[in-house]
Amino acid sequence: MSLQKHEISYIRDTVKRKLTNTELQIIAAEWSEHCSYKSSKKHLSILPTTGRNVIIEKGYDSGVLDVGDGYVVTVHIESHNHPSAVEPFGGAATGVGGVIRDILSAGTRPIAILDGLRFGNIENDTHARWLFKNAVSGIADYGNCLGIPTIGGEVEFDDCYKNYALVDVAAIGFGKKDRLIKNHATKDDLVVLIGGPTGRDGVGGSQFASDSLENEDRSAVQIPDPFIEKLIIETILEARNEKCINAMKDLGGGGLSCAVSETAESLGIGIELNVDSVHTRESGLSPDEIMTSESQERMLIITDKEKLPKLKQICDKFSVICSIIGHVTEDKMMHVKNGSDTLALLSAEFVARAPLLDRKKIKPKYLKSIKKENKMEKILDYSEIILKLLASPNIASKHWVFRQYDHEVGIRTVIKPGRDASVLRLDNGKFLSAKIDGNPKHCYLDPRHGAIGCFEEACRNVVCTGANPIGMVDHLQFGNPEDPEIFWTFMESLEGLAEYGKFLRVPCVGGKVSFYNETPSGPIKPTPLIGVLGIIDKTPFLPTQPIDGDYLIIIGKTKDELGGSEYFEYTHKFIGGTCPCVDFKDSKINMQAVLSLIKNRLVKSVHDCSKGGFAIAVSELSIFGNIGCNVDIESMPTTENLSSEKILFSESHSRYLLVIDQKNLEYTIQFLSKKKTPFAVLGKFTGDHVNIMHKSKNLIKTTVDIIQKRYFNGLEDLLKHG
Amino acid sequence: MSTYIVQVIIENKPNISDPEGDTILNDLVLKSKNSSVKKIRSGKILKFTVEASNKKNAEKIVENICQELRIFNPLVSNVVIESKTD
Repeated sequence: MSLQKHEISYIRDTVKRKLTNTELQIIAAEWSEHCSYKSSKKHLSILPTTGRNVIIEKGYDSGVLDVGDGYVVTVHIESHNHPSAVEPFGGAATGVGGVIRDILSAGTRPIAILDGLRFGNIENDTHARWLFKNAVSGIADYGNCLGIPTIGGEVEFDDCYKNYALVDVAAIGFGKKDRLIKNHATKDDLVVLIGGPTGRDGVGGSQFASDSLENEDRSAVQIPDPFIEKLIIETILEARNEKCINAMKDLGGGGLSCAVSETAESLGIGIELNVDSVHTRESGLSPDEIMTSESQERMLIITDKEKLPKLKQICDKFSVICSIIGHVTEDKMMHVKNGSDTLALLSAEFVARAPLLDRKKIKPKYLKSIKKENKMEKILDYSEIILKLLASPNIASKHWVFRQYDHEVGIRTVIKPGRDASVLRLDNGKFLSAKIDGNPKHCYLDPRHGAIGCFEEACRNVVCTGANPIGMVDHLQFGNPEDPEIFWTFMESLEGLAEYGKFLRVPCVGGKVSFYNETPSGPIKPTPLIGVLGIIDKTPFLPTQPIDGDYLIIIGKTKDELGGSEYFEYTHKFIGGTCPCVDFKDSKINMQAVLSLIKNRLVKSVHDCSKGGFAIAVSELSIFGNIGCNVDIESMPTTENLSSEKILFSESHSRYLLVIDQKNLEYTIQFLSKKKTPFAVLGKFTGDHVNIMHKSKNLIKTTVDIIQKRYFNGLEDLLKHG
Repeated sequence: MSTYIVQVIIENKPNISDPEGDTILNDLVLKSKNSSVKKIRSGKILKFTVEASNKKNAEKIVENICQELRIFNPLVSNVVIESKTD
């Protein structure tokens, strides 16, 4: 049991009697950091959450965005880090299941999954490799069985995740606005539990997730069953169409305890339930175990007596078990019974609202000792560095990962994974672009600007497909919040995200905070992960490959920002330097310039500059276009006089590479000059060599087939022969 | 040295659910009215043909391989290792 001293005295003062064992179990589950957000809730209100497209309704687990013509898009992000670190296949798979049920609970059909995966150094750590392979298989298995495409994501490796795993899953739903579930309930409505039977798996899971893995209790693993989940999806959507659902909630962390107390609290009702009526997998489960079990693939539905027969009929049709476990009362109490015995009787509000904390924050000492300059010997053979970076696990193509996922099922996927953002076709003729991004290396050096950078990068990726960002979800992953230094990094990231979100007018429509991500060698680096959705109103922008004679233009300034870059960390094994910092004004100007160019069909393709800097971004254009290029970086827009090394590898934000047809070059230059966008024409695509020059010196000289081989085989070779 | 066949049977621990076994039970066995069947657990079996000086060593070799290469996850599954001479 993980109740704190002040919580025990708060319970004593409020309830004024000794709690029963069941009550203590319920409260311990609901008041865990994982369910109650007790460290973060006070501060999360600084994020902008309203906007033109945002629909807010009580009790929603996912963000809802109006996309016009009577349609909505829903989005949510969650992680399953602790379970995945001990059982990567099941942990990652059930992570997908959980977030899909959040989408479903608003009454929308899940149409896409994105996942962000982070592991230790797979180059020398066989355990990290085992975690990575199995987490990918888990996601593939679950998503593919459900027939929901996994359309994108990202994979990153860093020593700070040694013996650990970050598995983040974002899901997108789509539906009609008038079919959204308007959560409501009145007295004597029935509380129904549908889905898989309740078992002993995952008892105490949310408390486990709110502890560091050192005090691990590894019995808390959950076993995925995607086929039940698929049946639940179809059952719920049909029940929605038949208007059988008054209110709905998925069972996630904290199991029944959290679902019941949170539903009662958000709807201002009471719920009386009988654990005797819950369908279980095995006999001999204690009532406390039933209340806190985190068995997967279950949903809580509130319906009324007239609609119950129809609901049962639908459940029968899909062979989904449903049991009536209780009813709605007016007394705002959560009343748990076993037969005629009362096991727990507490105010739902009391259970659902844990006492919030004001955690201390102190600027971490490590930030002062970070070196600003890399004094290491310069490596001059940039061609060799480029080849090394292209094959490195963080930059190399992730097709080994996403080719295991079905990314086209449902025939909505217009732009497939592997490039910038992915694009989905919606039923109203519009297109939805989505991307998630994180960068712990930047966030470690500067949690504020690092987090803003992740946000901007996700926006940039969405902008590269011609979409306007309309909403974001954030997943804030940090170490133990009781450590004031870690809490400081959390607050910095959060404030940064709020500041940039307000400036850009992109509301935060959902998210999650995950603390206690600690490994045996210490806390993880701050890892905020940002997902951005964008809308394309008319025809989607289908990028075309560069051909001989096309021009390369860069938009955006390159700065002295090698800190946290792949070049420093992978090539030099150096952690330090100045973290890239987003200039808000430039960010917006550049974004708008790119969007106008795409709208006016002046560009053939757009690619953002991120991991690995300009050198890697331009190589990727050549790799995908199967054509060489001659580039001179002399005229690169910069803020100061920079060395070749910095121009090539600095990971400054707000930069885009454009491929322009010769006939549009003059007009594009005029347009960008008029809009006062920093830009430069850097060279031409031609032949089969990649040549990058600076001050009449040849910095990089290599061939397209060599870089293609390195880029496409890097990760796979490592997994096969590493 | 003799040749042994070492069998490794991997199944989920008793408290951990087994969707495959449940599906075979509910959607196949019980539907064909075999009501005497109460439970089905699925598992995986691997057969190693090993050369070793004795039975015990043969089993030890296989056990070490399974542990080292993470052929099963000890947190989720139980294994039974048995051998017989070829």
